[in-house]
Amino acid sequence: MALALEHLRRTFGDFVAVDDLSFTVGPREIVGLIGPNGAGKTTTLRALAGILRPTSGHVSIDGYDVTGQPIEAKRRLAFMPDEPHLFEYLTVDEHLRLTARLYEIPDVDRRAPPLLQELELDGKAGALPGELSRGMRQKVVIACGLIRDATTLLFDEPLTGLDPLGIRRMRETILARSRAGAAVLLSSHMLHLVEEICTRVIIMDRGRKIADGTFEELATRADLAAAGSSLEQIFLRVTGRDVGA
Amino acid sequence: MIGASLYITVCSARNRARVRLRRLREPRYLVGALAGLAYIYFSFFGRFRAQRASRRRRNAPMAAAAVAALVAGAPALIAIALMLLTMMAWLMPFDSGLLEFSKAEEQFLFPAPVSRRWLLVHRMLRSQLGMLFGAVVVALTAPSVSGYGRLRVSIAMWLLMCTTKVYFTGVTLARARLGAADARARRVAWMPLAAMSVALVIVGASVARAFAGRPYAGFRDVLTRLGSVAGSGASSIVMAPFLAVTRPLFAGWPQQYLIGLAGSAAVLVACAVWVLQSDAAFQEATTEVAERKSRERTTTSASYRVRGAAAWRLAATGRAEAAFIWKSAMQTLRIVDRRAIARIVTVVLALTIAASSIGRANGLVSVVGAFSIAASLFTVLMAPQVLRIDMRQDLQHLELLKTWPVPPSAVVRGEIVWPGVLITAIAWLTMAIAMALSATTFSGVAVTTRLSLGVSSMIVAPALVFAQLVVHNAAALIFPAWVPIGHQRPRGFEAVGQRLILLAATWLILLAIALPGGVVGGVIWFILRGFVGALAYVAAAGVAAVIIAVEVLVATEALGPAYERIDILAVERAE
Repeated sequence: MALALEHLRRTFGDFVAVDDLSFTVGPREIVGLIGPNGAGKTTTLRALAGILRPTSGHVSIDGYDVTGQPIEAKRRLAFMPDEPHLFEYLTVDEHLRLTARLYEIPDVDRRAPPLLQELELDGKAGALPGELSRGMRQKVVIACGLIRDATTLLFDEPLTGLDPLGIRRMRETILARSRAGAAVLLSSHMLHLVEEICTRVIIMDRGRKIADGTFEELATRADLAAAGSSLEQIFLRVTGRDVGA
Repeated sequence: MIGASLYITVCSARNRARVRLRRLREPRYLVGALAGLAYIYFSFFGRFRAQRASRRRRNAPMAAAAVAALVAGAPALIAIALMLLTMMAWLMPFDSGLLEFSKAEEQFLFPAPVSRRWLLVHRMLRSQLGMLFGAVVVALTAPSVSGYGRLRVSIAMWLLMCTTKVYFTGVTLARARLGAADARARRVAWMPLAAMSVALVIVGASVARAFAGRPYAGFRDVLTRLGSVAGSGASSIVMAPFLAVTRPLFAGWPQQYLIGLAGSAAVLVACAVWVLQSDAAFQEATTEVAERKSRERTTTSASYRVRGAAAWRLAATGRAEAAFIWKSAMQTLRIVDRRAIARIVTVVLALTIAASSIGRANGLVSVVGAFSIAASLFTVLMAPQVLRIDMRQDLQHLELLKTWPVPPSAVVRGEIVWPGVLITAIAWLTMAIAMALSATTFSGVAVTTRLSLGVSSMIVAPALVFAQLVVHNAAALIFPAWVPIGHQRPRGFEAVGQRLILLAATWLILLAIALPGGVVGGVIWFILRGFVGALAYVAAAGVAAVIIAVEVLVATEALGPAYERIDILAVERAE
């Protein structure tokens, strides 16, 4: 498995953000991680990316433990957060070069131009983040994630700030990376996107996994069959928020 | 509507106090608060006690005469200063801050069904707590003799600050209408400016008459003459409002003070009425202020500039540390104007050459030499604390840094190399100047000794700089909640205390790092001085520098696990 979580638990003081969470994502899989606000999705992604240390449990990328062998694990991982954190004094091109250097990618000159074109950033290579819109900065973060051949891609709300064309392009990009063999874990509140591109869905609530399966599996589950045929209806039922909906 | 404004003010203050009190449950904030309070107590009250004791020892009649002269003349002096300030407010584009609405206020209050006048009243009410705090601080630092005296100064100061703030708001509102299309509105806007100009001419003429042709005998004489300007003729009339707001600060209790306070309050009311009458200009003025603030923000955020194609290009492969050095170098080169730096260096070098060739006779060399030594000391000992282009800044980007597949110790090393190199370069420049001028600055010292000491300083400087950077970065990694990250400026007693404790700890650890090198270097110097003379300093400095450098390297390795363990929430909570 490209990505595996085993009994992940993360607490902040007395508050349990993620509790006993286990799942795997294999190559060519696109798994949607959904849940209401405060469900623990971002904490899970941050733990996967090595940003937060698990309180207990294990997280591994391609068999490398994120805590025990962080460098090997991180080399195989690309995390695209919802907030674009960029260095305000480096240009778009320099962000790509810095990423390439840190991830030991020698052919950045060959990879950068088509990637910038794919993400509609061509012509912005020399721009500083302060000169870009929020959507473009988001694309720079995504470009830094895609410049390398990561086996596992983590997206946290990847479409935030993108225009309709950007959303369409991003959807195609994610699908293309999955077809090329990457394992993709995607957290989003845009249920139609999840429904459209994900091969499997994990629903979290209050730090715990409450549903895991393909869309068809969830739709035919005995306790959810009555909810309806859309992911939104299933989501509302499984999280107990369908009362009065 | 006043109720809503009071509600916002009270709730904000209460919640802020609650958050600060709640965090005192954590030892680091409690210790910080105690240290901060102790610092404030000893720096104010302890100082006053010492002053009172020394006052008692001094000649009492002389002191009484000086105080009497001050009380008589100071209101006039401050009143004239205030008058100039109020005139400046018309010429300079600064404002009182009353029209600077926060983003939340813009979002909630602007679309609300409330009048512009109410929005102004709201801002006035909101600013009261800050001004009360400022007034109390002024009263605490004032050389008053009793607690009640300080209370009286606080009230008088608060009225003065309120009046100034409201007046400046009035100026901002009036300025927005100086070019109004409506002739009446334009006349109303120009009227106060015209009145102020006439008043200034009258006072200026009186001051000129008081000082022309008569040389003054000391500061007390200046105060007396200014007092006469403010107390007679036409100038006494035009200065009346300015004197009214300053008089309570120096008035005796009770009658003079209470009358003075009533006068000051009357001026405040007059200013408030003027501002509330000008509320028609509110829209233009707030737009103007918002635009200016937006421009200032843009200037700050876009102060990085890509200058030409001469940027240092990062090689595709190599050590991870080099990538961090490149990143920090880019930041420096993009915020610093290299031509300006070149000009400064040229001027400094030209001054040094000029001083060494023509300035020996008039002491210029001594001044420049002493300045260079002071600059060297400041650069080596303080610059590592001030220049924060290392982990202290990059913890803002921890979420990104943590995802990079880089050995943690390489991150720590990479973060400190560039600021270390930069500070060392500046220190070497100032040291080189000091050495070049040392023949005059230290004319009694032999040339070999001077040069040996200079070279020794240059050898030890980078070791000390890097040692300090390691300590500061270690503090940021081990106690992220104690260290201001990026552009943070934490406030409160606990923040003051935390800064003091951190500074003391930093110096203590630096001392511990420097001690082994210092001891071994001292022994080397002691052994060699009989054989090689002053050159022993150089040998000792070399050995000390090597020992400190090894300690620094070991420390960066040891900090690796600290970087690996650092919790992003510890950083976020400090923000």
